[in-house]
Amino acid sequence: MNAPDRYERFVVPEGTKKVAYERDTKIINAASFTIEREDHTVGNVLRMQLHRDPNVLFAGYKLPHPLQYKIIVRIHTSSQSSPMQAYNQSINDLDKELNYLKAGFEVWNSGVFIFFMMMVTLT
Amino acid sequence: MESTTSYQRFPKIKIREMKDDYLKFELHSTDTSVANALRRIMLAEVPTIAIDLVEIEANSSVLNDEFIAHRLGLIPLTSTRAMEMRFSRDCDACDGDGQCEYCSVEFHLSVRCDQDQTLDVTSADLISSDPSVMAVDVAARSTSSGYDASDNKGIIIVKLRRGQELRLRAIARKGIGKDHAKWSPAATVTFMYEPDIHINEDLMETLTLEDKKNWVESSPTKVFDIDPNTQHVVVVDAEAYTYDDEVIKKAEAMGKPGLVEIYAKEDSFIFTVESTGAVKASQLVLNAIEILKQKLDAVRLSEDTVEADDQFGELNAHMRGG
Repeated sequence: MNAPDRYERFVVPEGTKKVAYERDTKIINAASFTIEREDHTVGNVLRMQLHRDPNVLFAGYKLPHPLQYKIIVRIHTSSQSSPMQAYNQSINDLDKELNYLKAGFEVWNSGVFIFFMMMVTLT
Repeated sequence: MESTTSYQRFPKIKIREMKDDYLKFELHSTDTSVANALRRIMLAEVPTIAIDLVEIEANSSVLNDEFIAHRLGLIPLTSTRAMEMRFSRDCDACDGDGQCEYCSVEFHLSVRCDQDQTLDVTSADLISSDPSVMAVDVAARSTSSGYDASDNKGIIIVKLRRGQELRLRAIARKGIGKDHAKWSPAATVTFMYEPDIHINEDLMETLTLEDKKNWVESSPTKVFDIDPNTQHVVVVDAEAYTYDDEVIKKAEAMGKPGLVEIYAKEDSFIFTVESTGAVKASQLVLNAIEILKQKLDAVRLSEDTVEADDQFGELNAHMRGG
């Protein structure tokens, strides 16, 4: 039949860039990032992290169509920063946050929990 | 140009309950977007191993070949290896046929009924080529940990009567829930905001005991109770609150608005994770964090994009200068 392959939803086609950057031609410090084969999982997490940056005047994402497997992240910053700088910064901060979270989770996972449960049962 | 100001958060985790296939934990000091990303990833993007290709050699059972192939795919397999395994489409060792040791596990099944009684063909009849990958219920039998294995008969694939036979070869591959739900390692993943309940004690004391009882009863879940000694209304289980607003409406109907104030703490989440058994629930959360990290790393701007923009910037400055 003519159904497209299911993996087309998450495998970036050959010759396509994962992230394409496009500057706004009319507004300085505004740009769009087209991210291929991503959805709300990454879009929303990036948007909310960008909102934490006071130099970001606008940050939003859209999933243009449910069958076009890409998202568009639009960033507008003050002259103190640039869309590219804010974008990189937000990814770095999220990465550090997740490292911290992972370390915190592993502590619980490795024996501390058993110790904790023993304390609970003893008291 | 790169500034070093960081807007990083430092999320805290507290585990409430941990079993092999169940986990309940609190997540503090982070955003809904992170909590929801983790939930979405656990459901659809943490890899597991599931049967993906079935070659039927003989099938005289009542179910047709496709039906059996589908049932085989849905059997959860122990997938601790999945994070390190290759996807068949990325595997260069087997030229894309997806049948090599790096990206697949082979199963054989051969059952024939030679008795008058109906014979159940179950997950226990699947013979794996790799001892680390097998049906989760069979694995639970040998380790005894996890759920009660005593009355575990295996997952029924098909039933055979006298003379019927089923012989097949199956290839299990790594995949994700986004591709097909059979690869989803999660049965359910939920999170809720931690509720913050404040009772206006002064206003509450203007109520008669009868009114208090009526008010406490108005909640569809058991959130409040009356202390038998002091006859004060107390919060017994804040988390039982389902944000239904029933108690607030009841207070207003009784002419006592502001009797209780309930807020959702928007940076505190209570997660429950139930695993299919393919990976341990705690490992599932760790894998989800790792996958989110990988996804974010993949969306970093490539060097050539940055270079192209730098040149563009110079050109722009040049034009403005000239």
